This record gives sequence, C-alpha cells and structure tokens, in this order.
Amino acid sequence: MPSVVSTDLLTKDFPVGFWRPRPRRALDAVSFEIQAGEVFGLLGPNGAGKSTTLKLLTNLIWPTSGSAAVLGRPPGDVAARHRLGFLPENPTFYDHLTAEELLSYFAGLFGYTGAERRTRASRALEAVGIGGDDRSRPLRQYSRGMIQRVGLAQALVNDPELVILDEPMSGLDPLGRREVRELMLRLRDEGRTILFSSHILSDAEWLCNRVAILSHGRLAAVGTVADLVAQSAAQTTRGWEVVGSGMSSALVDRLRVRTTRATRLGEGRYALELMVGDRPEPIVAELAAAGAVLVSVTPLGVNLEDVFVERVGGAGAEPAGSR
Amino acid sequence: MKAYRIRLVAWHVFKESVRDRVLYGIGAFALLLVAASALIGQITAGQDLKIIKDLGLSTIEFAGALMTVFIGVGLVAREIDRRSIDSLLAKPLPRWEFIVGKYAGLVLTIAVNVALMTLALFAMLAWLRWTSPEGVRLSWDAPALDPHLLLVVALTMGELAVLTAVALFFSSFSSSAFWSVVFTIGLYIAGLNSHDLRHFTDLVQTPAVFGRLVDLVGWLLPAFDAFDRKIDVVHGLPVPLGFVAARLAYAAIYAAVALGGAMLVFSRREFK
Amino acid sequence: MTSRAAGLVGACALVGGLAAAAAVLHAGDVGYPATSGTERLLYVRSPSAARHLALSFKGLAADVYWMRTIQHFGGDLRSSRAAGRFELLQPLLALTTSLDPYFTVAYRVGAVFLAMPPPSGPGRVDQAVALLQKGLRASPDQWHYPYDIGFVYYLYAHEYGTAGTWFARAATMPGAPEWIRPLAAETVARGGDRAYARRLLAELVTSDQEYLRQDGRRGLAQVDALDAIDRLQALVEDYYTAAHVYPSSWSDLIRTGRLTGIPADDARVPFVYDPAAHLVLIGSTSPLAPLPLALGPMKPR
Repeated sequence: MPSVVSTDLLTKDFPVGFWRPRPRRALDAVSFEIQAGEVFGLLGPNGAGKSTTLKLLTNLIWPTSGSAAVLGRPPGDVAARHRLGFLPENPTFYDHLTAEELLSYFAGLFGYTGAERRTRASRALEAVGIGGDDRSRPLRQYSRGMIQRVGLAQALVNDPELVILDEPMSGLDPLGRREVRELMLRLRDEGRTILFSSHILSDAEWLCNRVAILSHGRLAAVGTVADLVAQSAAQTTRGWEVVGSGMSSALVDRLRVRTTRATRLGEGRYALELMVGDRPEPIVAELAAAGAVLVSVTPLGVNLEDVFVERVGGAGAEPAGSR
Repeated sequence: MKAYRIRLVAWHVFKESVRDRVLYGIGAFALLLVAASALIGQITAGQDLKIIKDLGLSTIEFAGALMTVFIGVGLVAREIDRRSIDSLLAKPLPRWEFIVGKYAGLVLTIAVNVALMTLALFAMLAWLRWTSPEGVRLSWDAPALDPHLLLVVALTMGELAVLTAVALFFSSFSSSAFWSVVFTIGLYIAGLNSHDLRHFTDLVQTPAVFGRLVDLVGWLLPAFDAFDRKIDVVHGLPVPLGFVAARLAYAAIYAAVALGGAMLVFSRREFK
Repeated sequence: MTSRAAGLVGACALVGGLAAAAAVLHAGDVGYPATSGTERLLYVRSPSAARHLALSFKGLAADVYWMRTIQHFGGDLRSSRAAGRFELLQPLLALTTSLDPYFTVAYRVGAVFLAMPPPSGPGRVDQAVALLQKGLRASPDQWHYPYDIGFVYYLYAHEYGTAGTWFARAATMPGAPEWIRPLAAETVARGGDRAYARRLLAELVTSDQEYLRQDGRRGLAQVDALDAIDRLQALVEDYYTAAHVYPSSWSDLIRTGRLTGIPADDARVPFVYDPAAHLVLIGSTSPLAPLPLALGPMKPR
C-alpha cells in the first residue's frame, strides 16, 4: 500500500551567522513512513526538528539532501495540495478579515465557487465550534484560542485526505484541548490521515497509532506506542499498584513489608506500590480476606514519557550539528 | 495557471487595503491639500488656477507614491514577518500566482484612489471656473477643466505601476518590512533623478569609466522622472499622445521585469 | 530543466527585459525631447540645487517661491528699513523661474518689482531686464517678453532708443498685435514726449495684470505731476515778472491770488518750492518721486 507521507534520509542545514555563514544541521537523515488512516505523532523537545520536518513536507523550505513524498508527489506539488490541509505553529491570519471571509477566501483558492464555497466555509467553522456571531467579527478581535480554532478550520475546509498539524493544542485551555482531541479522533474515524507534532505526550499516547521521537535533528525512535513501551520495559519495570479502602491500620502494617511504598489516600484508603516482580493477586486476596474493599489494580508500566526521557534525555544521544 | 486564483488574491488585497487605516490617513491628507489650494490661490496674485493644478497633480502623485510604498511593502514583507503566509502557501496556489495576484490587487487599490483624487481635483477646478469672470478666464494658459490633465494622471498611474512592482520586488526578498520601505524609497528618489544620471557625462567632468558606469546605472534604474509633464500641462503646452504611449510602454516593460524578479526571488525563498 | 538552470534562464530574461525597457525609454526621449525650457541652467548654482531638491514637484516649488517673493516685496515696501532692502528679490525670482521656466507672471511682475526705483523697490533695471531675457530664452516665441523689456527701458531707465529697439523686436514675433510696430517707431523718434508717454501708459493701465496696471497709473500720475510742475513753475515766473523778485514760499503765490492753497501731486504730497533756486520740485516723500525728468514737454515737430 503506497504511503501517504514518506521521507528518505531527509536532511536540512540552515546557514547561521552573517559574515561567514556555517551550516547548522536541523534535521539529519530522517526516514519514516505514514500509512493511510494513521494518526502519526511527531514528538520531541524544542529545537528537535519537528517544525522543520513539517515545513519540509509543506514546501515552505527545501531539503539540503534526501527526499520526501506527500500523497505520492513531491512536496509543493500543486495537485497534491488540493488534498491536504495544514495548520502552522502559532498561526496568524489577516487581521482585517472576519473568520467567514478568511475561510471563504481559502475555500476559493481550492476552486470552490458560489454556494459550495460558502457551505464549506460554514461547515469548517462549525466543526471547530465557532458560532454565528463570532464568524462576522474581524480576526483582530479573536483570542489566541479562537485563532487556533480558525487555523484548524482552514486546514479542513477542503475535506483533506491528509491533515498536517503543527502543535495543534498550543494556546488552548483544557476544554479547548479536549475539543481538539475529539475533533482529531473524528477525523481519524472518517478515514483521514493525521500527522501532528506536539510536546504533550499524554495527547500523543491517547491519539496516535504510531509516533516518531526526534532529538537534536535525529530520529531517536519510531513505532507504535505499545512497541516502544515494550522495548523499553525490558530495561525498567516498576510493578503493580493496588488501591484499597476500608483497610485497618493493622492490615496496612502487615502489607507494608511486601511493598516498596504505601501511600495514605484518605481514611482507610491506601495505595500500595508492590515490589518489582511481585504479582498483585496475593495482595488482592489478603485484602478480601481482611474485609477491605478493592478499589483498583494498575500496572505501573513504562509509559511514553519514560521512553521519551530515555531516548531524548541524553543517554547515547549526541547533539547533531557538531560540524 | 488559474486566473480565478490570481483574481481571488487580488480581490483580497483590495479588500484588506480598503480596511487599512493607513489608506484613509493618506487619502484625507490628500483631499485636505487639494481643498487648501483654494485658500492658497488668494495670496498668489491671482494664480489660483496654476496653484490648484500644480498642487492637485503633485498631491495625486505624492499620495499615490506613499500608498504604494507603505501598502505595497505591507503586502508581502509584513505577511512574511507575521507568518500569515505559511497557511496560504500550503494551499494549491503557486508562488508566482501569489505575486501576480498581490500586484494586481495593489494596482487596483492605487488606481481607485488616484481616480477619487482626480475627481476631487476636477471638482475644485469646476468650482474655480464657475466663479471666475470671463476676463480672468481668457488670461489662463489652459482651460480649467483641461482634458489633457487626464493624460498627466495616466502618466502618473504608469509611474505608480512601476513603483508598485519595485516595492513588491523589494518586499519579496527582504526579511523585514522596514528595510523594504527604505530600499523602495531610495530607489524612488534615485529614479526621480534618472535624467541627470543618464546624462551624467554631459553634466560633470569625470573619468570616462566612472561616467559610463553612472550613465549605465541611470539607464537601468526605473526612470520615474520620465513621466513628469505636469509643468507642460499646467501651462497649456502640448502633451503628445505618442509620448504618453511611449512612456506607458516603458512602464509596462519595466513593471514586468520587476515583477519577474519578484516572482523569481519569491519562488526560491524559504520560510523558516 | 533543473531548478538552478531555470533560475539562470529567468535571470537572463530579466536582464534582457531591463535592456528592452532602457531602449523604449531612450526612444521616448528621442522622439519627444523635453521642451527647451527644461534644459538645465547650469550657470546658476542654487536654482539648480533647488531643481534637484524639488524632485518632480518643481511647479509646486515654483509656486511656493513666488508666494515668498510677493511677501518679501510687500513686506519690505511697508517697512522703513534702509539696509538690505529688497535684497532677496532677485534670488527668489531666480529660483522661481528656474523651477518653472514658463512662469510668465513671475518674469513680468518680478521685473516690475526689480525695476521700481527706491524707496518702492531696488531700482535694478539691469536685473529686471536680465529676468525678462531669461523668460524670453525659455519661451522664445512669446512677444510680450521683449515688449516688457522695452517698457522697462522706457519707464525706468528712460533709454528711449533701446526701448524702441525692443519694441521693434517684439513686433516681429508671432502673435504680436498690430499696434506694436508703430509703437516701436514712435518711441525711437519721440520717446521724450509726454503726450506719447501718456498714450503708452494708458495702454499699460489696461493690462490684465494688477501690478502692471498699478505701474501704469503711477506713470500717469508722474506725467501729471510733471505737467503740474510746469504750470507751477510758470506761476513762479509770472510772479517774478510782476514783482521783480522771486517768491520766497508758496504763501506769496497764495497771497497774490495765483494759488488757492498749497499745491499737491496726485499722491497728495505737497510740491516743494526751493526759494534759493526758484524751482518747483516734487516732494521728497512723494511715492511718485523721482520723476522721469527726461520727459520734457511736447516738442514741436
């Protein structure tokens, strides 16, 4: 199956300095593929090369070496741009236009006319929750969060197969972020391919089929969240956590010796972190025998954050650009 | 190439310019100046007509140039500064169409404003004609509502079309709106002295190589002063149609070159 | 074609375009040369700088300078200072006419300003003539420039021969009215005539320029004053004939009934009687002074 996005040893140097510019390597031989219908997360700390990658894919900048393909065409191919939507990081638009006018303008660039143009603009604004009154206010009066939503709307106005989002959650409050997450899930359910970059790992964990982790311009890891966690789990595991209520202090004292940590959560309510390698079943049985109530049993597995810190944190990762 | 995209960009430029307060500031200043010429006529020993025509034509040119520079630079340089260009370039809009659309939109904006100022000028001239006695009217070098004034306005539009293309060129490669303004104004002033530069060796004693170099620069710079026939039209001297056609042809060619340069530069530009 | 090659081709096309543009510009210059007045007047330094500074707003700048000229003339006329009076008149007029070489009024009225004798003006006939000659060079087919030069020589320098020559030149130019030819002839022959001067001045009073009309009226008032002085001088001689002594003042003439009051000119400034020389003179404070004394009375043919 042909991939929707693919990069092959994609490399980008930026000249730095005025008098004798020297190249700073922002992206170093990055290769990955995204299949149709996937939600793909591009993760990494600031300066890792996430935005650089997205800009290379949307033809805002050109590679120093290597290549990329978007919807089977080179980036910047006009026909391919009909089928993709892009939300840049911290977007700004035209202050004097209203949201309606902006969306209508952009819709027009795709070739839509008349009633269809207006309908598409309207639907896109509806999808991001910008209502009637707000639509006719000039963008100059919009808050940061509303601008972000307009940005999402303009990325969707042409019903794209591929949606590229650079930090889609930035500038949004928790409510807004939840709405965007739900929107992205809806898009995925509609069969679109989504590529987005983010700092917020929990969002990536929640949404993505696969992720790529960039560090200092290099690809530090790529795969499904589960695979990455599993690869990591081989090195570090943390065990189980059992939470119970109605536990007597005698019971707690008895169980404490078999745990690494017992945290009091409330009256008679404790979280017990078991030792590495121990199964939770015996502890559960003891709780039941003592008449306490079992609240939850949770595997304290490695999560994405651990993978992230491990791959990016510095162990073995040499900064690129040291030329 | 799709004409509808260029039209869309042009229309959007026009709409944004109309809402830009800078435009109104310049327009108000221009209209005020034209109206003030009525007062000025009182203290110049009866030279009302000449003053109004001089002031009116000069204001149209000057205000037009101001609009061109400040709005024209804002078109591209400010868009790049503010990154509003990122989402636009991801749309199916080839970069060269973007430039052509911006140019068309700005020329449209300038043309509308020049037309409005010309109307105001003619209104003033009509009022002057209506209130002047027969004897005074006979002493005028040229009639008040002289249609040849329109030829001079056409030449001014040609000049502004070239200036717009130059402003667009500078804002397509400069990384800041401020520097684009500086370069454009600099080139405008140089171009207004084009005649002297082109005939430098006639004016100044200088080593041949240097003189030739200055001559060459004079020929390559946009000759903004070649469009000036204001003094002639005010004194009723002829402004031949052939001359107007020749200058407008020059304007068309030069603007095309500057636009071509803008398209070339812009297509190769990276937006980090 | 690779992107780099395409760029190179594009750049070459643009250079070619610039060359084409220069060619069209040159064709325009050659086909429609700038009318003669716009040639650079290189020998005058500051006006040429003004031309550069004015960029393409020279007409407007000329208007500004003209306004300043009028203000300067009017201001100095009203003030009583003697040092540096009217000293900016010539430079301002030079700037005005260099910025706008067709500025007719500036040449004509400016020449009048320059030629006016003190205290009403700097009395620089040479500068007035030079200014009008500059106007003539800018517009060689305008008959009123040599005509005005003739007038300046007639009215202010009293050089009737030269005036006649200039009138004759004006008569030969396209558009000159018929009556200039006989005017030229008469000026040479009878330039000293008061009656002839009256006719000339009467024509000036019908000019379309207010300042020229004022000039004509003043000239006529001066001729009237000359006539009045002649009549008063006759009264003085008459007194002597009767009393064998010259009068000592106007009172003598009034006492003997020859005058009803102290005589004054059209500007209401009393005439002065000099008892030592027995001469009637125009009052020194009169705006009509000094009188064109070369204008003797009508000569018999």
